[in-house]
Amino acid sequence: MKAEIDLNKCSGHARCFLVDPELFDLDDSGYALNAEVDIPSGEEDKAREAVSACPERAISLR
Amino acid sequence: MSTTESPGTCPVHEFNHYAEMPFGEKIKFYDSLRDEAPLIRNNFANGHYIVTRYEEIMAVYQDAKTFSNSAVTVFNPEPTYRWIPEMLDGDEHRQWRKQLGPHFSPKAVEVLEDKVRSRAVELIKSIAARGSCDFMQDFANQYPSFIFLELMGLPFEDLDKFLHWEDEILHVSAGTAEETARRREVATIAVTDYFDTIIAQRRIDPKDDLVSKALTFVIDGKPVNDDDLRAFCLLMFMAGLDTVSATLGITFLHLATHQDDRQSLVDDPDMIPVAIEEMLRAHAIVLPSRKVMEDTEIAGCPIKAGEMISVPLNLATRDDSVYDDAKDVILDRHPNNHIAFGAGPHRCLGSHLARRELKIALEEWHKLIPNYRLSDRSNPKEAGAQLGPSGDMFLEWEV
Repeated sequence: MKAEIDLNKCSGHARCFLVDPELFDLDDSGYALNAEVDIPSGEEDKAREAVSACPERAISLR
Repeated sequence: MSTTESPGTCPVHEFNHYAEMPFGEKIKFYDSLRDEAPLIRNNFANGHYIVTRYEEIMAVYQDAKTFSNSAVTVFNPEPTYRWIPEMLDGDEHRQWRKQLGPHFSPKAVEVLEDKVRSRAVELIKSIAARGSCDFMQDFANQYPSFIFLELMGLPFEDLDKFLHWEDEILHVSAGTAEETARRREVATIAVTDYFDTIIAQRRIDPKDDLVSKALTFVIDGKPVNDDDLRAFCLLMFMAGLDTVSATLGITFLHLATHQDDRQSLVDDPDMIPVAIEEMLRAHAIVLPSRKVMEDTEIAGCPIKAGEMISVPLNLATRDDSVYDDAKDVILDRHPNNHIAFGAGPHRCLGSHLARRELKIALEEWHKLIPNYRLSDRSNPKEAGAQLGPSGDMFLEWEV
């Protein structure tokens, strides 16, 4: 599973970071660091939680 | 609050959102607007539109090109001032946010933890033995002001000065509109003069504070000038104080009148962050506005360039099409991707600081004053540019 973050939509709410700071790390300004995150097996629920936590609806899974 | 027959495509009302009303009436009115139509024409003052549902509100916030921040109060589409960074658009806004971001990121605000917590404890201790308090005056207005002073590197002795200016600018409601405006202006000039002095001092003798850091910012290849620095300081003052106070007011008003919710936070303090998110969602206080830059359409209604639109956050966050039982406070609601801090490029810069201030306040209050209720002599009202109790909110407890 991969999480894709639309960096044009990311506005630094950092709610994904709260779900899992390692998977969804932030840059120095507090915005999503990576546009694409590999989700290790067993962490899929975390990824789904991050999707549903994002106020900008900027995260999708594939 | 009157409705008339609509000549065009959307219902027409005349509603003054600044007017003083008993707490809770405004949000009920906004709820009724959402039920009525996705777009409302408000004929009050110069006239503007109110966008009432989540999807359309999100679309406005995420399209900062069509919906500009160059004017942010519906009464004034051509302001002669600009608050920084709130009223900037496009690339200039991006440059400011890029340089401010590192000072307001979740990691950056952690540094303030100890100072904020010790101030919270000190304030709550000073109240606890009394057995009652005027919550807004004794706690909610005081606490964020201290953090603002700390962040901006201003002396604690100036706290009373700032509380006075804040009252005059944001809460004063004198006998006449002219008197209110005059007192606001006098206080605004005083704050501006104060910051002029601070900016001049920091240029000579920089410290480890936000004013000194902003002096080093570069916009379009040039250092920030004094006018923009002043506009930045003024916005920090206006944005950081009253919003946290109002959210504290709403949160404690809810807890003092919903004893089960209060008790669940006392029993399980780990629930506090989730509870804060729910209070932010259910009572999103800010009523932002945008200026329409090109002819467009919202919910099928044409809107001309130059019009002002109001996009109240509570109208998005209490929309049943997105949140189940959206008008109810469900303290452990999950998931909760609310937009109480706005959305799009202007998402509240101070959101992570605000969350931390709220968390610390709730944790420390419930350690020292776990059981409290709303006193019968309370009569909270709300007035001014945002939602939230402006005063007359008394808590009491056994000592």
